[in-house]
Amino acid sequence: MLGLPDITIIAVGGIVVVIIALLLYWGLTFRGHD
Amino acid sequence: MEADWITIGVVGLYFILMLGIGAWASKKIKNTEDYLVAGRQLGFWVFILLMIGTVCSGMSLLGVSGLGYKAGWPTIWEQIFVPLSIGVCIIFFGVKLHNVAKTSGYVTVQDYLAHRYESPTALRTLAAVAGIIVSLIYLVGQYTAISMVLMWLFGIPLWLALVIATLVTMAYTAIGGLYAVAWASLVQSITLIIGVLVMAPLIIWYAGGFTHVNEFIATINPNLVMPWNPVGAFAPPYVVSFALLLGLGLACAPHVINNVLAVKDVKYFKWSPLIAFLIYGVVIFLLKFAGFAGLVMVKEGVFTLPAVSNAQDFVILYGIQYAMPILAIWAIFAVIVLAAVMSTTDRLMLTIGAMFSWDIYKKVLKPDADDKSVLLLSKIVVVISALGTMVIAINPPEMLAILIWMGIGTMLATFSVPLLAGLYWRGATRQGALASMTLGLSAALLFGFLNYFKVKALGMDFAAIPLHFSVYAFVISLLAMIIVSLLTKKTTDKVLDETQTGWYISKQ
Repeated sequence: MLGLPDITIIAVGGIVVVIIALLLYWGLTFRGHD
Repeated sequence: MEADWITIGVVGLYFILMLGIGAWASKKIKNTEDYLVAGRQLGFWVFILLMIGTVCSGMSLLGVSGLGYKAGWPTIWEQIFVPLSIGVCIIFFGVKLHNVAKTSGYVTVQDYLAHRYESPTALRTLAAVAGIIVSLIYLVGQYTAISMVLMWLFGIPLWLALVIATLVTMAYTAIGGLYAVAWASLVQSITLIIGVLVMAPLIIWYAGGFTHVNEFIATINPNLVMPWNPVGAFAPPYVVSFALLLGLGLACAPHVINNVLAVKDVKYFKWSPLIAFLIYGVVIFLLKFAGFAGLVMVKEGVFTLPAVSNAQDFVILYGIQYAMPILAIWAIFAVIVLAAVMSTTDRLMLTIGAMFSWDIYKKVLKPDADDKSVLLLSKIVVVISALGTMVIAINPPEMLAILIWMGIGTMLATFSVPLLAGLYWRGATRQGALASMTLGLSAALLFGFLNYFKVKALGMDFAAIPLHFSVYAFVISLLAMIIVSLLTKKTTDKVLDETQTGWYISKQ
């Protein structure tokens, strides 16, 4: 796909998705004060 | 290229706009706190775009594409970890530092270190000197990028390009402080984002489209489309060290971390990590892809790169020149690159000014100095650091990315452990922080030198070490912190409570 081997799409795409999920979790749970 | 009036007009207008922002900002400066932390009044979008502008440096446009041209997909991790560094900075450093700074009035991150480790002189001075050294290394890399753009666009000599770019950036930074830097970054980052979103896809399209580019570079070398190299640079161990280098090293750099002290409201930290990651991630991925497209164009004989040692860093400039043969477009693109570089350069100059005038002069050498003299000294140091690094940058390094990573690596080895241990480990002591910072900085400079000059010593080939050199220095810094802290007297509970030290990010 896209002229790339599957491993490249899985590795790069996988890490990006995990990071977005973690930052989304941070945004949803951060209360904004100490 | 030869200069023409359209180009001179577009670039000239941009420079006038920046100077105008500096002049406007200078009217808001009443004291040193206004100058160095913009009165702690930065709003949500100004903060996000300031963070993007600070992290998005000369490397982001020229070096990122240059590295993509040279080494292909295995370098793509740079495009993930650099945008992530903004979130790492905000989440792991920003929330706590901002909360503590509200009551303690920190102006620089050195204020925090001096307070947390009860070391108003020794650690503060060491942190400021280390910060100035690493910022200067980083600044030289930025200048190289600025001068490359002006040379390409106007066909003028390097020294003249450097003088023009330095004087403009120096002028608005010196007169307007962080207000000018932040608002200039707002304009620069918007210019950069829109420009890259429009122009990078055009370069990729001109090269035959994304799929064609990947298929073509795979025929040159199959490793160019793999996520990592089998051995050496960008092999899996190197990629992991790269994550640490960029994700954490950039996050704790003084010119990046000081931005969190200027934010108006801690609530801005809720969504800024995700938004910054998404915006900057798209921009920097596109830049890398434009580098791949440039490789295709060079191999297909569309253009040849100049016969200079850092030819690959010119690839995006030549790519845009051939994909869009319209003079005005080149001028606009030059402004975009200048915006990217200047948005980091100005923040570095100001950070150096702050570390010298506030941390060394006001807090150590002359505590009774009045605010007016500190403010004046900040401006003088901005000017001196700008001119000094300009002279060093006249001989550009072989590869822009390497010099900038060397700066980031030194930041990682020097600041990350004292900051993380200070914020999260109540056992971290003053002596531990001093040992960690001294050994981390020394080891990073030594390993960086050995690696850069490909030295073979002690039975090791420093050019072929499996991890980025700074990671070894980081480990030394970490071990020094743990061992020395366990052997020395702990910080008082009063200070640990004041600085919210403990195993949490935000107290519930």
